[in-house]
Amino acid sequence: MAHSPLVMTNVTKRFGAFTAVDNLSLDVPEGAIIGFLGPNGAGKSTSLRMALGVIPADAGEVRLFGEAPNILALRRVGFLPEERGLYKKMTTRDTIAYFARLKGLSASDAKARANELLETTGLSEFKATRVSKLSKGMAQKVQILSTLAHRPDFLILDEPFSGLDPVNQQVLEDLIRAEHDRGATILFSTHVMEHAERLCDRIVMMARGRKVFDGTLPEAFATLEEGASLNVEEGFDLAAALAPKGFEAQRAAGRGHGDAWRIVLPKGKGAQDALRAAIEAGAPIMGFAPDEARLRDVFVSLVGEAEAAALDAPLTESREEGALAE
Amino acid sequence: MRNIYLIFRRDYLGYVKAWGFWLSLAAVPALMLIGSTFALFAVQSAPVRYYTVIEPGRVFAEAIDAEFARNEAADIAEKMQIPAGAMDAGAMQAFSDRKFLEVPAPARDLDSLRPFLLGEKLVSGPAGDKPLFAAFILSEDGKSLEYWSDDVNIKSLRFEARDAMRRLARTHALEAAGLSPDFIQAADDAAVQVPERRIRSVVEQESAGNEVTLADRAPVFVAGGMAYFLWLMVFSIIQYLLMGTIEERSNKIFDTLLTSVRMPELLAGKLLAVFAVTSTMMLVWGLFALTGSAVLATRVPGAGDLITPFLAAAASPQILVPGMISFLLGYIMYGMIFMALGSLCDTIQEAQTLLSPMMILLMLPMFAIFIAFQDPGSPVVDIAAWIPLFTPFLLILRMPHDPPMWEVLAQMGLMLVTMLAVLWGSVRVYRAGAVNGASVGDLGKMLKGMFGKKPA
Repeated sequence: MAHSPLVMTNVTKRFGAFTAVDNLSLDVPEGAIIGFLGPNGAGKSTSLRMALGVIPADAGEVRLFGEAPNILALRRVGFLPEERGLYKKMTTRDTIAYFARLKGLSASDAKARANELLETTGLSEFKATRVSKLSKGMAQKVQILSTLAHRPDFLILDEPFSGLDPVNQQVLEDLIRAEHDRGATILFSTHVMEHAERLCDRIVMMARGRKVFDGTLPEAFATLEEGASLNVEEGFDLAAALAPKGFEAQRAAGRGHGDAWRIVLPKGKGAQDALRAAIEAGAPIMGFAPDEARLRDVFVSLVGEAEAAALDAPLTESREEGALAE
Repeated sequence: MRNIYLIFRRDYLGYVKAWGFWLSLAAVPALMLIGSTFALFAVQSAPVRYYTVIEPGRVFAEAIDAEFARNEAADIAEKMQIPAGAMDAGAMQAFSDRKFLEVPAPARDLDSLRPFLLGEKLVSGPAGDKPLFAAFILSEDGKSLEYWSDDVNIKSLRFEARDAMRRLARTHALEAAGLSPDFIQAADDAAVQVPERRIRSVVEQESAGNEVTLADRAPVFVAGGMAYFLWLMVFSIIQYLLMGTIEERSNKIFDTLLTSVRMPELLAGKLLAVFAVTSTMMLVWGLFALTGSAVLATRVPGAGDLITPFLAAAASPQILVPGMISFLLGYIMYGMIFMALGSLCDTIQEAQTLLSPMMILLMLPMFAIFIAFQDPGSPVVDIAAWIPLFTPFLLILRMPHDPPMWEVLAQMGLMLVTMLAVLWGSVRVYRAGAVNGASVGDLGKMLKGMFGKKPA
């Protein structure tokens, strides 16, 4: 029987008095792309390091391909850590081949695979270049390639997009999709929700060490109160006009012409129903837009605006925070 | 094993590809060449120094000169391995290389001699015009021959003069008692000799005899060399292990490595790599020394006889086996300590704060080696040999002196236990540094890393 690549059950990690991960349960089924979302310090990196057995859990159980994390199971995993690092004096090709060999590839296969990856990502002209001579973004690409070199069954990527420019973020997204198409299971952490929206079929949200959501994207959006924005001529009382029709309208911060209103949609009613009701009520409509729900809104609704503000903070070393607390 | 090999290979190639390695490799033979050339040059080029003797006649001057001649004849006879007095005066003259020569006094009193002694004026002599190095001035009462010189660090001339005066006084006393100079010389020549003999078991004595040869002294020098060699190796690995580990920590590469290899594999690979690097150096240096010895043995008559006892001592199981064991355990013990400490440092500056106490730690066995070399039976050495950090060095040094077997075995056992304890602790410190990001100042964190739950 095939085991899920990763199952974490009631896992907790404390650094002194600080609880970095609190009772986390997570099941990563084969073939999934799962986004592990949350602001800095939410416990994402600590969870991933526990998943790989780099640090032990204080409580709970971690199973990697059905076993406690061990070196054989880890050979099936490609891990991109949050703290990027390569041997600066090695060439790009040697770097990729070296890490591939550590994962079990033969010398010739590793070298061939390194050449192939450098070729497909347009880096072949840098194959003999030392890592110290590469730009930060390029070095990061080399590290990502090192993670993929042994064709892992399970990719764990910790903040893979940080430090990449928009063009290379797109390249990485394409790489992740290609790996998924190849059959790899993917778990990646990010504090940038847009990547998860574009890539994931399931998301896990973390805040202050706790899992606050685990489900598909539609399930995530379903947690939001649906609504629509409506602009009417100044002075028109939309709330009073719509109340008899079962819709609640609230004044919103001004956007577009006239007065901005936000309509909260009752269960079973859509944005078009609200628009129809407004027309029937004789509202002088100047603009209309159904709510475009974003994952960030989901996160705000789950943890509050103050906590969600941390999503916009620059990426810091959460491991350091943990280490200091330790 | 494969992962150990891969870690080892990468680290080893990383080290040997660095220009510093080649510089170190070339530096020692170059220093050996330069040093030996310099030492030879220093001996050969020791300047000739002038002295003078202010006395009413020539009695003391001749006595000093005779003392020089006598000692020089003995030295030449020993070097050429011929009986003292077997060489005639002409041959002696040919081999003579006197560095102190008497010159006529340029003045008769101290004040007038002062500018010559201070180098403000020169005196003429067989080696050209030079300052006067020293003057012997007989005191007014004739009871002391004062030695005046601007350089009081070179004492050999004064010691020669002191011996000459003792011999002269004895000769005068004997002559005053009615003995002739020939009789006194004959009496001197008839003195009972004190030859050096080596006590051995009856069986050994039948084959090896009882003469003291270089083969009897070589094991002490070889053991001393091995102890110093180990010390040098430990000293040289500090930078490799510290810097290598700091590089990995600052490169933030541990997480990637630890999801590919087990911690013991990582440590073993790294330790082996540094061992191989230093071994490569030592091998090259050893080959250089052997080649030099072979060249000497074929080109210089008698050099082969000098070298063979040392090679035989180095290959003897009595020294080689404990030497190898001490070497291995000592290397692992010190290597793990340095690697664990390196894992706590982010920068070279941080490492430098650790280097000072480590240097002091390493200087202590060096002092013990020095004492053991001078007097292997010293209680200080006996006690220090039981301190596991010193045992690797001192056990080797004690072996030529046949310490009790139980002591050897007990000290090896203690060293092994200590090495295992160091290994245990160092792995945990390393884990605390590499995985938990502990630093030197984070003692609490380090302890948590050491005694915390071990990852799967």
